[in-house]
Amino acid sequence: MKFLCVPCDSPMKIQTVGPPERGSLSIVYSCPECGYEIAMLTNAYETQVVQSLGVRIGPADASPAGASAKAGCPFAAMIPTTDGADGETTSAPTGETISVRWTSGAEARLANIPEFVRPMARTGIEKFARDKGALEVNEEILDAAREFFGM
Amino acid sequence: MKGYRDIAGDGGSRVLEQVAEQRTRITDGLAAVRHLVAVGSGKGGVGKSTLTLHLAGALRARGLRVAILDADFNGPSQARMAGIQDAVFVPGSHKVSLPKTRNGIAVFSMGSVIPESAALEFESAAPGDSHTWRATREFALLTEILGSFEWGELDLLMFDLPPGAERTVQYADFLGPRTSFLLVTIPSEVSRGVVARSVAALAKGRNRVLGYVENMSGYYCRDCNAIKPLFDSPMPSDLGIPCLGTVPFDPELARHCDSGIPLAEAPSTPVLRALENVAQQLLESLAASAHDSRELRRPGAESSR
Repeated sequence: MKFLCVPCDSPMKIQTVGPPERGSLSIVYSCPECGYEIAMLTNAYETQVVQSLGVRIGPADASPAGASAKAGCPFAAMIPTTDGADGETTSAPTGETISVRWTSGAEARLANIPEFVRPMARTGIEKFARDKGALEVNEEILDAAREFFGM
Repeated sequence: MKGYRDIAGDGGSRVLEQVAEQRTRITDGLAAVRHLVAVGSGKGGVGKSTLTLHLAGALRARGLRVAILDADFNGPSQARMAGIQDAVFVPGSHKVSLPKTRNGIAVFSMGSVIPESAALEFESAAPGDSHTWRATREFALLTEILGSFEWGELDLLMFDLPPGAERTVQYADFLGPRTSFLLVTIPSEVSRGVVARSVAALAKGRNRVLGYVENMSGYYCRDCNAIKPLFDSPMPSDLGIPCLGTVPFDPELARHCDSGIPLAEAPSTPVLRALENVAQQLLESLAASAHDSRELRRPGAESSR
């Protein structure tokens, strides 16, 4: 979708994108020639079409909106029962809590994978680390996990 | 006044470019995959998933590098059948490693992500109106899976498709002409009728239909060590595509699927030999398909046909 400032015959540029609120995105465009501003307010169907395409709305250097603007994973509802989704701590079978830290390098690798598998990947890798007696997930642990799980 | 095509870009979001980048990521990720084969039907319950896994096993036994993408997101069954329900996805340097079966077949299935007691759900700005967006969302998910997992160097990547003739065509459109189709039917006219619709629908596109497999073509009686009839279809209708083989139903293989035991660990039976024959036919058909593609690319080849 493109917007044209009719008096200037000039394409308008996105200025700001508000996060989805009750299913509506607020996207402000302005004319680079005259500065005139308009806002496009999407209905829930339009918002959902954008989300379904898996694209971001807004300038590339701005914080994401549309598909990625909502806090957390856009596919989060797909995984209704995932343990340890966002934590560095998990519960041992005895009920005792064991903390497992992630190094920045390991976190960076985790960030590369799709959000919908990230929680279960984190949980499984932390269990693997604990089983190995490690309290830290680093890149060596990740490589060992890859080998262990036959990948 | 300027028209749509007079204006470069869309004001900042680059939506079309983002979609193109998604496609490029898929193309790059599958660049080292020799053959893409979608196993579909149109009809549900004909054994697409079982046949996909067992064919993959037969191909793997020949030393081929094989992976399965269970594209039936709403009814994934490969995770259970392949024994990877509890798989752990481990991130590599850029992409996610795929879990493998005991006999070395890489498998992605939503059944490894979502427990069987739950259904696939998406967060939505338009809840209650999923008929307007659900298919698009599922293909975005397929895009993410194809672009994010390490498919690596493979001889075959097999897609286990969901039922529905229209879904079969949607996957053909999405996967593009590199993907060949193998259709599955059972020996009933109801099933053949639905598969015939899929053949007709696919004929309008650019994907090659390699042929069909008749699954549940009789059943294997272990007591008699013989194949006995299962359906009464004396005059089957012609589907207009090659038959790559028939595979009898074997309750023992069904038990293997429920338990996630690979085909290679099952005792040799006429059913396994039938699967090996289908695997051979599939490879020959793919080889012929590759030859045809080379012929078409040869200068002047198209005009000489």
